Amino acid sequence: MQKEQRRNSLILQVAVLFTISVLLTGFLTYFSQSVLTDASVKKQTEGLASEIADEVKLAVTEYPAYEWLLRYWYEHSDELDIEYDTDYGSGTRTEEKCRLLAGHYPGMQFKYADTQELLAMPEADQKLYAEITYSWLITRVNQIKRAYHVDFLFCVLTEDSYETQFFLFSGADPGSVRGTSYEEIYPLGVRVTVSASQQEEMRNAQQNSAHLADAGSYVDYYAFLDMIDDHAVLIGMTYDLSGLMANIHAQTISRTSYAVAHQVFLSLICLVLTSVFVLHPLKKVQNSIRLYKETKNSETVIENLAKIRPHNEIGQLSEDVMSLTKEIDDYLNRIQTITAEEERISTELSLATRIQAAMLPHIFPPFPGRPEFDIYATMEPARKVGGDFYDFFLVDDDHLCMVMADVSGKGVPAALFMMVSKIILQSCAMLGKSAAEILTKTNEAICSNNQEEMFVTVWVGILEISTGTLTAANAGHEYPVLKKPDGTFELIKDRHGLVIGGMEGTRYREYQLQMEPGAKLFLYTDGVAEATDAQNQLFGTDRMIEALRRAEDGTPEEILQSVDHAVKEFVGDAPQFDDLTMLCIHYIGKNREEGRNCGERADH
Amino acid sequence: MLDIKKTLENETLTLALKGRLDTTTAPQLETQLKEHMARIKHLVLDFAELEYISSAGLRVLLAGQKVMQKQGSMKVTHVNEVIAEIFEITGFNEILTVE
Repeated sequence: MQKEQRRNSLILQVAVLFTISVLLTGFLTYFSQSVLTDASVKKQTEGLASEIADEVKLAVTEYPAYEWLLRYWYEHSDELDIEYDTDYGSGTRTEEKCRLLAGHYPGMQFKYADTQELLAMPEADQKLYAEITYSWLITRVNQIKRAYHVDFLFCVLTEDSYETQFFLFSGADPGSVRGTSYEEIYPLGVRVTVSASQQEEMRNAQQNSAHLADAGSYVDYYAFLDMIDDHAVLIGMTYDLSGLMANIHAQTISRTSYAVAHQVFLSLICLVLTSVFVLHPLKKVQNSIRLYKETKNSETVIENLAKIRPHNEIGQLSEDVMSLTKEIDDYLNRIQTITAEEERISTELSLATRIQAAMLPHIFPPFPGRPEFDIYATMEPARKVGGDFYDFFLVDDDHLCMVMADVSGKGVPAALFMMVSKIILQSCAMLGKSAAEILTKTNEAICSNNQEEMFVTVWVGILEISTGTLTAANAGHEYPVLKKPDGTFELIKDRHGLVIGGMEGTRYREYQLQMEPGAKLFLYTDGVAEATDAQNQLFGTDRMIEALRRAEDGTPEEILQSVDHAVKEFVGDAPQFDDLTMLCIHYIGKNREEGRNCGERADH
Repeated sequence: MLDIKKTLENETLTLALKGRLDTTTAPQLETQLKEHMARIKHLVLDFAELEYISSAGLRVLLAGQKVMQKQGSMKVTHVNEVIAEIFEITGFNEILTVE
């Protein structure tokens, strides 16, 4: 469920990224378009305005005496009889004035009259000339205004350091009324006081020959024409840009929308492609992995994955998953084989344990008909099978043979060696040989075929039951411990020979001990004395003797339990490294219940 | 838990053992002996820092002794009390040269 959510969130994350980029694109497009169009509108406007201004300038400067005219119009504005916005060819006053003047100066080209010629005229003719040219100019300016769709087109002369504009001429559309009221076109001679910002614009225009003032949807433009004394003559015009701006705005919006739509379209394609080529195959790989987790069947998984192998990272992923499942399968198979093998070995070892245990006398009391002694022994291997062993058996009616032995090493090899040693020892003993002879013969037998250099320490003793005389020999084994009837447990530092299997031709010597009735003999292997605790300390013979003494009045079984308990307590949680084997015999003798014992023995 | 420091001088190999020579560490010593024994005449085992020897360790000593007594000599030096007792109990002091 959680993984499902994660998958969804991946596509969501991509979608969010795309959304952000779409918004960003929209914003950037709008912004850049706006800046660009604003700049281009301004530039265009300025270019157009300067063109118009040039046209007007040309219309004025066509007259060679234009400076004289400008001054005349300014100085005589009140006296002039001006015909505005005339439709020529239908008997206008200007035509009459032209004829009149032409009558005075036949052959004169009025348009190209220069200042000298004009100054030579009488004043009435000068006035006529100024009125005629003014009408011509107005007609021309009206045409320019119409041609360029300018809202206002005019020429002013500045007075009082730009505070006042004196209107020289203004362009008008057909049907417009001349006057000073609202929506009327100013005639010659109107004075207007202007705002500080307009004064500034005009000053700029005079200094830089032209100036464009951008006031939102309106644009004011002034171009310098001439100086009359200290009055600057400027051509001015006003544009209404609101229509143009609206148009441009709509264009910007549409371009932005187009860019955004384009981006959205690409994003959608990307999302769909991601889903189809990434998420879908990924989901398949994931499902295959889940299927494998449930079924552990690599064949199905490989079959499924083989169908969706694009040549990219996902293809590699699915190939990796395929080889991984194969490896896991192989591994599982191997583990199964190993486990089966282990189980088989374990079963065999259990069986071996039982066989080994069965080889040793393990039913107690072993000789219910022999009250002259009480014997008890235990063996506890560190692993399933061990190399330690004890043994006891009656050689004949009056002789009990006891063996305590320890094979070098542990586990199966030691157990095999132990079996061989035990059988040879018993065979030699049953032939009625003495303790020393038993060891010497066994050593010969073992050495004759001992390529693995294994050896076994053996203590062997033969007890004459009737007398309590113990004849023993020691082939490298631990010291036996004896408790005399009136004493306590003591180590007997007996005579030692080399371990069995150590060196060919070793001869062993035997010694005798007298066991009084009530005496106890304790035999053990190094697993007892060398039991080790977690701090690597040895249990040692001293602790062993202490444990023996604590139970010295008990039966052999109780004595062994006491030692076993002491060893386990000492070792604690540390693992048991060596086999733990012990034997104890309590010699009772036949004195106590001689009569009954004799009778019983007669039965044998 | 067994460190073996070896010194080879002419035909005498000295192995100084440190730690415990038991079932788990005896193969280490066995490997060292197998590697060098064919080329040497004298083997010295320095037990100054050896704490304990088990029957698996004794087995390696026995094998070494058998080989070395044919081609030269083997001796064990600086044996501590615990190990001396083990040698005594097992009868190894009868066949080993202990100094």
